[in-house]
Amino acid sequence: MALVNLQNVTYTYPITHSPVLQNISMQVNEGEFVAIIGPNGAGKSTLCYTIAGFVPHFFKGELTGTVEVAGQESSKSNLHEWVLNVGLAFQNPFNQISGAKYTVFEEIAFGLENTGVPREEMKPRVEEAMKLTGIGDLADRSPYSLSGGQQQRVALTSILVMQPKVLVLDEPTSQMDPIGTREVFGVIRTMAENGMTVVLVEHKVEWIARFADRVIALHEGKILMEGKPSEVLTSDLLAENGFGISRYTSTAREARNQGLWSKARQLAITLDEAVAGFKQ
Amino acid sequence: MHERLSYYVKRDSALHRLNPLTKFILVLSIILISFVSPWYWTAHLLLLLGIVPLCFLGRVSREFFASAIRLIIPAAGFIFVMQSLFQPVGQTIIFKFWFLDVTQESLAFAFRIATRIAVMISAFTLLLMTTHPSELMSDLTRRGLPGQFAYVIISTLQILPQMQAKAQTIINAQRSRGLDTESSFLKRAGSLIPLVGPLVFGSLVEVEERAIAIEARGFTSTHVKTSLHDVPDSSFDKVMRWFLVALVVITLILKIWLS
Amino acid sequence: MKIEILDLQYSYPTGVTALNGISLTIEAGEQVAIVGQNGAGKTTLVKHLNGLLQPTSGYVRIGDWDTRQHAVAKLAHRVGYVFQNPDEQLFSKNVGIEVAFGPKNLGRSGEQVQALVKDALAMTELADRTETNPYDLSPTWRKMVAIASIIAMDTPIVIFDEPTTGQDAVNIARIARVIERLSAQGKTVITITHDIDFCAENFARVVALTQGRVLLDGKATDVLGQAEILATTYVDPPQLTRLGKRLGLDQTITNQAEFLAALKK
Repeated sequence: MALVNLQNVTYTYPITHSPVLQNISMQVNEGEFVAIIGPNGAGKSTLCYTIAGFVPHFFKGELTGTVEVAGQESSKSNLHEWVLNVGLAFQNPFNQISGAKYTVFEEIAFGLENTGVPREEMKPRVEEAMKLTGIGDLADRSPYSLSGGQQQRVALTSILVMQPKVLVLDEPTSQMDPIGTREVFGVIRTMAENGMTVVLVEHKVEWIARFADRVIALHEGKILMEGKPSEVLTSDLLAENGFGISRYTSTAREARNQGLWSKARQLAITLDEAVAGFKQ
Repeated sequence: MHERLSYYVKRDSALHRLNPLTKFILVLSIILISFVSPWYWTAHLLLLLGIVPLCFLGRVSREFFASAIRLIIPAAGFIFVMQSLFQPVGQTIIFKFWFLDVTQESLAFAFRIATRIAVMISAFTLLLMTTHPSELMSDLTRRGLPGQFAYVIISTLQILPQMQAKAQTIINAQRSRGLDTESSFLKRAGSLIPLVGPLVFGSLVEVEERAIAIEARGFTSTHVKTSLHDVPDSSFDKVMRWFLVALVVITLILKIWLS
Repeated sequence: MKIEILDLQYSYPTGVTALNGISLTIEAGEQVAIVGQNGAGKTTLVKHLNGLLQPTSGYVRIGDWDTRQHAVAKLAHRVGYVFQNPDEQLFSKNVGIEVAFGPKNLGRSGEQVQALVKDALAMTELADRTETNPYDLSPTWRKMVAIASIIAMDTPIVIFDEPTTGQDAVNIARIARVIERLSAQGKTVITITHDIDFCAENFARVVALTQGRVLLDGKATDVLGQAEILATTYVDPPQLTRLGKRLGLDQTITNQAEFLAALKK
């Protein structure tokens, strides 16, 4: 059963004329980890907002087609109910801190307070969520005293504590330094391994290659290609359309043109695949 | 670096343990009584026998007196001087300052209003020092203050220092483009737009993202909100509040009756 | 224009020492990447080059100017600094006016400003957006406007602070082209970056900082091969460098062409 089901979705922001999403149809099954890649402006963020319900309920504009998540349909639902099923995190960790709370613990509990969770339940839920994301030692710190990577993990924890069915992540590591990136990917991986349904927008293709079940390539508002990471990320179609691909892939492709990579062998995405391929 | 914009001093004291609304009403009562009371020396007495003991009760005497020197005394002093010079009351001229007359009556008037202002500022300072802002807002929200209102106040307190940092970065960026921030005033006046523009536009982008982030955590949900921390409200608090309201009413009656 | 940094030490007003005695010389026309973990002092160092920060001890010389003796607005004649977040500098009605801001401040004539703006917009592929309001552009193009604003100042030295953060592959390539063109003009280009692949492919010299000191300083091919030392400042070697090492190649690889050439041997 598809947890997320978009059928023929076309969306235009208010005051603009050209649709940012054109006739998008995609599904995500429960427990799947789907990565979305594409150049800036392809509509990736808009797609994230659509799955999370902010399109159209927050941004208004024109939406045609159907958006179904966890059994609810977008046109028959409102944002308050939708956010209980879909968690959303994005690039800038600073903007995801509410500013209403003085400690990390309270910040995480903010969503529980807003949705009327009984007080007795709050503490254990927050503690469990913090254990899962490994930020237990930050509980009494001010969110504003943390590093970017720590802030982003607090943002993720604040979403996870609400026990969404789907996690939508819009380039969560784009503004992180290498350490922050590692920390955030660590959390995402843990969530995925625990069975969370994840939709992740990312540029860092090597990581996607190792952990995503499926990759959807978005280009100018349309789905260009979708399939297994090994197929999509090595496809010539991506290279021709300005997608960022791993240097292992582009080097393997060029090597193949020069006869240094076996034609029968699939192009490499990760370091190990590249090593194996070039050793021959 | 977390910069504290609130005055809150973390300590355990009788004042700290009072319910925030009680403290809020205490402060309002002190101010109202000092302004409304018909008896001349009310404000002075409140300052000596009310404010000062309260800051010992709240265990914030050191911080309070530091604040008094920095803020309360200069403010009250300024008012005293201004009112002495410019308040056109009285006949008994004590001395002349340039073309202004300082009379006995204007001195008395100034002394009272300066002390009233001192009482007002002191009372609020005490409130802020013994009440954590989120505790105050949480309690008021529970009693019916719109959540958005409380959010705007609290988030402003925290985000303002961050915006200061942002403003500094903008200044640095524009200086690096040759913007002159060190010479004549006229030149600097013209350089406001390159400094304010990015701050405003950049903030608009951030505000939208933050709105989405808190929306994603149910901020505008119509659910009855619960709170993580319990803000206790004892029977002493309740009695205290009614007592204070009664005092204010009595003072009002006295004022009307005696005038 | 030569940059000379001698025994530079810097401590914040809070007492924290950010730079612990850095000495560097950068000759005119070099391309230098500064790498290292957050807190190592990269931004602090680079802010000394245009006077935003003043040394606690030691000195920084830009050509014949000691930075302690010239205001930031004056040093802007010699050092252009592209900040990381374009939204922290864009304020004008349209791109043309925005890009003209810098050269105008530097006192160029109307004609000169026009020519400089035209060249800068051409270099950043913005020639057809002169009349557009910067905030009507996507973040990708706002970044290019910010870069154009500094290029138009025509400074002999240009500094980029994390230019590739949040950018997609297409824009990173665009930025790489800008850097190439600046180098071709003989300008000194200095960048702070976390993107070690971008660093390897565009910068001939790499300086790795750790805890306010220089850890490594030399040709990219030398520095990027020292994986264990780089790891102490949380820098991973570029993808192709790692590939080359795993395959047992002798030389340190910094780009695709080198790799394929080495493979053929």
